[in-house]
Amino acid sequence: MSINNMADPRRQNKIFRYKPPSTEANPTMEDPTPDYMNLLGMIFSMCGLMLKLKWCAWIAVYCSFISFANSRSSEDTKQMMSSFMLSISAVVMSYLQNPQPMSPPW
Amino acid sequence: MWGMGLNANLVTVNNRTMRSVMLLVVPALLLLLALPATRGRYNDDFDDGEDLAEFDDNDFAEFEDVSEDQGTETETAPPPPRAAPSVPADEEDDDEATVETEDGQDEFYDGDTQDQDSYSKYDNEEFEGYETKTSPSFKDNTLILREVPAHLQNSWESYYMEILMVTGLLAYIMNYIIGKNKNSRLAQAWFNSHRELLESNFALVGDDGTNKEATSTGKLNQENEHIYNLWCSGRVCCEGMLIQLKFLKRQDLLNVLARMMRPVCDQVQIKVTLNEDDMDTFVFALGTKKAMARMQKEMQDLSEFCSDKPKSGAKYGVPEYLTILTEMGEVTDGLMDSKMVHYITNHAEKIESIHFSDQFSGPKVMQEDGQPLKLPDTKKTLLFTFNVPGMGNTSPKDMEQLLPLMNMVIYSVDKIKKLRLNREGKQKADKNRARVEENFLKQTHAQRQEAAQTRREEKKRAEKERIMSEEDPERQRRMEEASQRRDQKKLEKKQMKMKQIKVKAM
Repeated sequence: MSINNMADPRRQNKIFRYKPPSTEANPTMEDPTPDYMNLLGMIFSMCGLMLKLKWCAWIAVYCSFISFANSRSSEDTKQMMSSFMLSISAVVMSYLQNPQPMSPPW
Repeated sequence: MWGMGLNANLVTVNNRTMRSVMLLVVPALLLLLALPATRGRYNDDFDDGEDLAEFDDNDFAEFEDVSEDQGTETETAPPPPRAAPSVPADEEDDDEATVETEDGQDEFYDGDTQDQDSYSKYDNEEFEGYETKTSPSFKDNTLILREVPAHLQNSWESYYMEILMVTGLLAYIMNYIIGKNKNSRLAQAWFNSHRELLESNFALVGDDGTNKEATSTGKLNQENEHIYNLWCSGRVCCEGMLIQLKFLKRQDLLNVLARMMRPVCDQVQIKVTLNEDDMDTFVFALGTKKAMARMQKEMQDLSEFCSDKPKSGAKYGVPEYLTILTEMGEVTDGLMDSKMVHYITNHAEKIESIHFSDQFSGPKVMQEDGQPLKLPDTKKTLLFTFNVPGMGNTSPKDMEQLLPLMNMVIYSVDKIKKLRLNREGKQKADKNRARVEENFLKQTHAQRQEAAQTRREEKKRAEKERIMSEEDPERQRRMEEASQRRDQKKLEKKQMKMKQIKVKAM
């Protein structure tokens, strides 16, 4: 019995390759934060651009940062970059159109 | 002569650079031409009064024009706002001066530079709303302090909201970098302390599935900034082991702030998949009360096979806050041997849940269109969820404390292979599984009937189409006859069945 305990439990012939977990189960279990934040960021930057609201544009920048921080490694970098660029352009355009500083809501 | 020299120069210069220079010169010229034009247009357009960028140079000019026209009343107005932008606040308290800040100032100034002669005309015609405000002020010899628009002042103080925002962003980025590094260090510390044990037990340690050959990568897969995977395989008694280090989202500042309200732990999740002959048929779970309550509701197999309420583990020698869900008492007796109890008792605070099952299919799947048509695929699995000590404030040294738990995992794998139910247990287990299957079939009976019906109709339709598409009328007729004969046969069979059932019933 003791010999069995000392024996090497490794078996080279019983190797199974790693299969990433199926994508079918994933959508229900995965964290939806990066997708929501991406969507929010786009909405806010559109609002900021169309309605010339500076605070919208700033919130859009924050949303795209949060989405980036929470993103999965398999996620498209193009999507991240495009949301970044959109939010930054929203901020820049708001300030070009109206260089006055943002007034606090209080 | 000068022209000749120039020609020579032109010839010697490369054509491409000339073209690029021309490309630069043309837009510059256009811009230069456009600027005066826009200025001219701007002067006429009073609606766009907020954009005073062009007047940065002429700030004083505006004030001077106003003072020339209106006499001495506004002479003192320009210097104070210009000299001390913050001072107007003080001067507002001054009794001598009446400070009037108007929103229509921008348009006011535009009118000044435009045409001093018709100043009063503009005042009356264009700024009707402000008539009552402006005319008395000029008549009463009061001091009017105009507020310079904030973006024209030479101070950054007015932009404090923007500075706040940028500071917030910088803080977020700093936190991202710090959090990412901390998670990475924790993962590396865990791997370093467990590497030896894993390499002595598994032939393949670390695989991301992309290599053509099955060679150990010897490192963790980084799925996220806070989730790390490790796949180990090549051992007796099991197919493979997937270890997931689920850290807290230290890289996301929002999450960090949320965690200050509600402390959460880092977790290590281990999933061992077994071959068919590595495990006997039973379902068992052990863990904290909350975890067990949640899993009994969520997990497909626990809800079907372990219908009793979780029992306290005190009966078996483990701390009482750990509860047990089991299909049969015999299973618990078999599993809770002294060594296992020893492991669990010593590291009870790190154990979140342990789940052994031969019918594991994950959490219950919520389907929109009623029940799924067939039972979900099951796999013999052992699941362990461990909490990392430290409750969020873990240091890399704490990861070593999880090493005994990994020993427990290996021990469990070997034990499960040897654990066999006796005859009664086996019968009970088989009965349970048959019962579950039957229930499932009953529930989906109606749906399966529908599905079978639609399939039959599809077949008939396909056949009819084939018959129709046959060009040769002869063959068409023959095929029709064949299908008719087949339908007839089916009908007869059904009638026979009905007769048999009737006979049996009798």
